[in-house]
Amino acid sequence: MRAIRNFIRKYGWAYAFILPSMTTFIVFTLIPVVWAFIISFQKYSLVRGGQWVDPIYANYVTAFTMLNGIFVTAIRNTLFYTVFTVTTNILVGLILASLIQPLSHRWRTFFRAAYYLPAVTSAIIIGMTWAYIFNGQWGFANYLLRLFGFAPLRWLSDPDIALGSVTLSAMLTIPATAVVLYSAAMNGIPNEFYEAAEIDGANALQRWWYITVPLIKSTTLYLVVLYTIASFEVFERIYVMVPSGVANSTQTIVTQIYNNGFKDFDFGVASAQAFVLFVMIATVAVFQFRALQSDVEY
Amino acid sequence: MKRLTILLVLLALVTLGVLACAPAPTPAPTAAPPTKAPEVKPPSATATPTQPPLPPRTAKGGIRKSTSGYKGTLNLWVLGYTPGNAFANPFDNAIAQFMADNPDIKVEITGYPPNDEGFTKLTTALQSGQGIDLLRLPSDRLPQYVRDDLVEPIDAYLTDADKADILPNVLEVTRLKDGKAYAWPLWVVPMGIYVNKDVFAEANVPLPPKNWTWEQFVDAAKKTTFKRPNGEQVYGFSGFVDPGVINTWGLWMIEDPSVRPIGKDGTFGFNSPAAYKGLQRFADLALVHKVTPPDFGAQKDSDVKGGFQNKQFAMIVDATGPAAAFKGANVNFEIYPHPTVNGNRLTVGAVGLIAVAKIKDSVKRQAAMDLARYLTSGEVQEDVPPGSNVPTGFYLAPGARKSVKVVDPLDKFIPMLPDMWVTPLVPEWAKFTRLFHPEYQNILFGKIKPEEAMKKIAPEAEKLLQSK
Repeated sequence: MRAIRNFIRKYGWAYAFILPSMTTFIVFTLIPVVWAFIISFQKYSLVRGGQWVDPIYANYVTAFTMLNGIFVTAIRNTLFYTVFTVTTNILVGLILASLIQPLSHRWRTFFRAAYYLPAVTSAIIIGMTWAYIFNGQWGFANYLLRLFGFAPLRWLSDPDIALGSVTLSAMLTIPATAVVLYSAAMNGIPNEFYEAAEIDGANALQRWWYITVPLIKSTTLYLVVLYTIASFEVFERIYVMVPSGVANSTQTIVTQIYNNGFKDFDFGVASAQAFVLFVMIATVAVFQFRALQSDVEY
Repeated sequence: MKRLTILLVLLALVTLGVLACAPAPTPAPTAAPPTKAPEVKPPSATATPTQPPLPPRTAKGGIRKSTSGYKGTLNLWVLGYTPGNAFANPFDNAIAQFMADNPDIKVEITGYPPNDEGFTKLTTALQSGQGIDLLRLPSDRLPQYVRDDLVEPIDAYLTDADKADILPNVLEVTRLKDGKAYAWPLWVVPMGIYVNKDVFAEANVPLPPKNWTWEQFVDAAKKTTFKRPNGEQVYGFSGFVDPGVINTWGLWMIEDPSVRPIGKDGTFGFNSPAAYKGLQRFADLALVHKVTPPDFGAQKDSDVKGGFQNKQFAMIVDATGPAAAFKGANVNFEIYPHPTVNGNRLTVGAVGLIAVAKIKDSVKRQAAMDLARYLTSGEVQEDVPPGSNVPTGFYLAPGARKSVKVVDPLDKFIPMLPDMWVTPLVPEWAKFTRLFHPEYQNILFGKIKPEEAMKKIAPEAEKLLQSK
């Protein structure tokens, strides 16, 4: 009893502080995830509850074979979107943060705030704006093409380019989080490193490449993982820009999960697909951690 | 320890404060005190011009009066309802009349949009059994709800007068299990060709005859595809293509009576030479004749309707729903049947229904059935006649009862009804359309030949369409 009292006296505050977030995590994340894993082996109905499927992995087989194997196409589309958006977002974020770094404090604050705007703007609004820009009949993109003498494109209705258009829209949206985090990371690099390099005769580009980029590697790792997860889960942008789809060219993993879960109410297959997504994200994240983990401390 | 106690007390106080600010819990419908009929108030000075005051409500008796004795709330879910829009005003007006005769019954309306997301919302509400007593829905969604035992059979509530009045073939559509009818037929919704007379006049093209052929249709579409002096391009034809709708299907299914999703022998009927031919003929509107907008096949519904209203499209294919909205917006239009192909006449469509959700309380169930009967009657059209906010009265499509009288322009759909094909009522219909839709789009985009596309999906399509 005395030991318990001592423990509470010593660690009570700590547990009191983490209790709300732990409770929220357990109730709204952990339990649903475990439950979804169970459902992925069941035929589940809100009315009738769950029944185990036979064979037990049947939902996973259905996930890949149903509707002409659309889930495989969705995985391919998601990978295409992820590779291009993550690469571009990291590069654009790094370049923009580097460009605003030498500016005065006032201008840096201004640009950080300006670049952060897309992050506080609704994804629906951004998607709708891009849908207007890419409209085949009166969109701004085709207006520009015509202005320079090119033939207009069916940006969002040609299966060969629709996914590219959606991906392009994501690539051209400023990666707000990357700019702000890179900017903060660059602020943390001691000035002495740059002064020493300057004395050794390194030019600005060399200082950036040999000092800045390696010393913000941990931020890069964080951002790569963050953007990869977000890209794997792309949904709103597709949902708003091409609501009726463009053949199967714009189907992604999450649109498939949504269709099966909330249009067909086939929660078992939807949960199986969600776990396939979970395994994919976890695998990619492990590889990213191995490739980018940094032991540099400063 | 003392500080921890203070913190906990503070937390408790904050929790109490939050609870005190929360809205009071709503009493259960059965326990609700009798509600008074809403009073008719004079129009407020701040009222929006799009929402004229409701017509005076007076008790009238007849089928408007529920014999249930129920006191409480009924929750009615209405497809396409957004306060003030063409789908909402008729229901608002009718419900006001119903409540005038039934002051103890309060009817609350919830809208859901006519797309996959709307049906998701509806199905979730039905499955949870919360906040839904009646629902207005299209016929193709009913089988799923009957299979899952989410709606009540109506046979016990059908009077002799109902049976004599409701079109028998339409009531038959709702008999999905054990020979029982599972919904009150409201209206019949065929697709028609909306012709913008202003665009035809601008292009100096005379209106074609109503018994037109496919060749005349294509000719009109070609002639009304032109560029305005200001550079704006006008297109002869468009239509909404989406997994949730069949708006454009009639224009190629008309190729031959055998072109139906489920053939006579139970096989997938779109996997046939006649279907390939019809699909290719329709796709050629975009691929060969170039009379459709560039995004045809992936356009949003609002872009199709908006384009017609703004005179960017000369013709569109759509259901009866937009007719009232176009009339209200003073669009100069005419409604045509589908053009004939090989002498065949056809339109496609669905039946609008009002179903009653599973209700344990028999008194409440009776009240819901009484309201459903009223909302599908000829009397509701008399109570909500054409007016400033309801251009075609209560009915937005030809009614499913002999006693319903519809007005212009809806009466123009009536001659199409004998040639109407109704979507088959199979539980996996929505999944089938998700399988068919991408291939249909690919055909319209010219990426695949109809034969190849239909052969590819035939085995799975057959399985889905034969599901029980």
